[in-house]
Amino acid sequence: MATKLKEVDVVIVGLGWTGGILAKELSAAGMTVVALERGEVRNTDPDFSVPLIRDELRFAVRHGLMQNPVRDTLTFRNRASETALPMRRLGSFLPGEGVGGAGVHWNGVTWRWTEIDHAIRSHYEQRYGNSFIPADMSLQDWPVSYQELEPYYDRFERTAGVSGRAGNLRGQIQAGGNVFEGPRDREFPLPPLEPAYAHTLFSDAAAQAGYHPFPRPAANASRAYTNPDGSRLGACAYCGYCERFGCEANAKGSPHITVIPIAMANPNFELRTRAWVTRVLLDSTKKKATGVVYTDVATGEEFEQPASIVALCAYAINNVHLMLLSQIGTPYDSRTQTGEVGRNYCYQPGGGGVTLFFEDKIFNPFMASGAFGSVLDDFHANPMFDRAAVGAIGGATVTVGQSNGRPIGYRPVPAGTPRWGSAWKAATAKWYLRSMNIGVTASNMPNRYNAYDLDPTYRNAFGQPLLRLTYNFTDNDRAIVTFVGQKAAEIGRLLNPTSMTTPGVRGDYSIVPYQSTHNTGGAVMGTSPRDSAVNRYLQSWDVPNVFVVGASAFPHNSAYNPTGPVGALAYWAADAIKNRYLQRPGQLV
Amino acid sequence: MLSHVAALVALGAFASVMQVGASQARPAGDPARGKVVFEQCAACHALDDPTSSGPSLKGMFGRKAGSRDDYRYSVAMTRSGVVWDAATLDAYLADPQAYIVGNRMSFAGVTEQSDRDDLIAYLEQAVRPTEGP
Repeated sequence: MATKLKEVDVVIVGLGWTGGILAKELSAAGMTVVALERGEVRNTDPDFSVPLIRDELRFAVRHGLMQNPVRDTLTFRNRASETALPMRRLGSFLPGEGVGGAGVHWNGVTWRWTEIDHAIRSHYEQRYGNSFIPADMSLQDWPVSYQELEPYYDRFERTAGVSGRAGNLRGQIQAGGNVFEGPRDREFPLPPLEPAYAHTLFSDAAAQAGYHPFPRPAANASRAYTNPDGSRLGACAYCGYCERFGCEANAKGSPHITVIPIAMANPNFELRTRAWVTRVLLDSTKKKATGVVYTDVATGEEFEQPASIVALCAYAINNVHLMLLSQIGTPYDSRTQTGEVGRNYCYQPGGGGVTLFFEDKIFNPFMASGAFGSVLDDFHANPMFDRAAVGAIGGATVTVGQSNGRPIGYRPVPAGTPRWGSAWKAATAKWYLRSMNIGVTASNMPNRYNAYDLDPTYRNAFGQPLLRLTYNFTDNDRAIVTFVGQKAAEIGRLLNPTSMTTPGVRGDYSIVPYQSTHNTGGAVMGTSPRDSAVNRYLQSWDVPNVFVVGASAFPHNSAYNPTGPVGALAYWAADAIKNRYLQRPGQLV
Repeated sequence: MLSHVAALVALGAFASVMQVGASQARPAGDPARGKVVFEQCAACHALDDPTSSGPSLKGMFGRKAGSRDDYRYSVAMTRSGVVWDAATLDAYLADPQAYIVGNRMSFAGVTEQSDRDDLIAYLEQAVRPTEGP
């Protein structure tokens, strides 16, 4: 029997970026807030201090800061005809765990999604006709426009200390920034990071070829910065231990050094760690949540935390899992295309990139930072990029990054090099300094068969069904990656390398090798309960005192990283709770 | 063990050379400018807040490096034998990893002599113990 605790105004499940933003905003508005975090407290000192944090084996290879799949994981299959099996070791993506969540160990790439992304179905219907969208592609507009979200994008960029260069200030195109981005009301809070040699080579060649390269927007502070809340960030030291690590210099925009300590200082707020939420409790009408049940993972004790509002702020995957376990909304069934919870899972196909090797150039790849890079958006945000010529929807960014040059993971060698032995060793020693990569990251459109549901066989440590993921790349994804991969190779050839790999071709999606932690959808936002789990304020259509915040709300996946709109939507949802829901509890739409 | 002792001896020698070099006549810095330079430090160090990720700087002048009991220092720092004054701070801030090899401060240093002078002038004002009201 769970011990029943004192009721609070808001219970937040998961304390990463979204939970931290809600915790700060709602406690400041006078609400009593409890955050339940399944992992441990983490602070820059001692958890991310040097030399401890420079342990590539512990943190990058053995996933020291991520979800422990022994306790909970998901099962996976490429298609419904297969039997899904549990993922017993993290691979393709790395959900966070602990205070700060994945906001601790992200790279820091912070995009505003494009105006096309915000109105994606309308854009393709108007430009290419209704029949251009395949029948099995469940594409839908965001219920929030770019213009509505612009102040919230700005707020998140200022909180996280994003370094970059505007390409569109109030409609005025700015050379050197992303000329295809939506209009910004003001410049980035920090100037771009200092470009690396590989970035300069790439951007010069791309500009000569008629493209529009710009510095990748980075929550890696290019200089010391105090954000509008008074949180202090240090300057990035280009150490190369960013993604999969916490930042020892407080230079990576992270919730544990910004929003979370501000919430912690508020007496309205309480944090409980090692608190694993197993379900949201509903009353007998199933239209109202009464709180959540959680297990203290240190003692095994079970508690009930009553609350007027439940905010699901766990990782995108876990938000969907909790909705299904709690029977909030109708589970999606891909055979009948009914229900909405679990629908429109998307990921992010990569693999179209090329690696260039130069006998006569030195790139010093160890001087690196998470989001450090030069990008071109001519094949993604650019509305003039003719999708009819490609026969596919979406696009891909082309990037030269320099995120890490670490000794275990970074071993670029030319095609044809033996995979092991003395020839491989000699090649890694020779090419470590002399190679650069041009990466291709594609958008991912929803497909009716790519979805989550509850696994019929396998259970987690709490006896609950695992989440089951059914996912594969589609021909649409392959067409985009192939087309843009050829463009990346053309730019690569302009640099006249000694040798260059050829862009890969995607087969079935594999969940084993790391690709990106950009899992989206499953509890998508929309304008109608028929095609979405939450409304434009990320409020459940079925249980209006439940808000589901994070990338689980994205109806499709962009060629961009998700954290920009994740942060913006968290501020947007917090404002909706403070300024709308409190005045008039109930369905906001 | 022998190499460890040798390293410590070498480190001590190096530190003392640096101190001699730095203790020559120092130009007076501008504390107002130094306050701006301090923004680089403020992500980790507070003038008086033991919860920051770096040690509090309160009362640091005249104190032995690595001796606050509310901070867990690197062994390199606690064994450095350095006592903080304008000269040692100047040498440390010029190249932190060279001056105290293996310390945990993740900061590349302040390159310009004038910036260091201003920063030290600011710190001398800001972190000296002051009389209470």
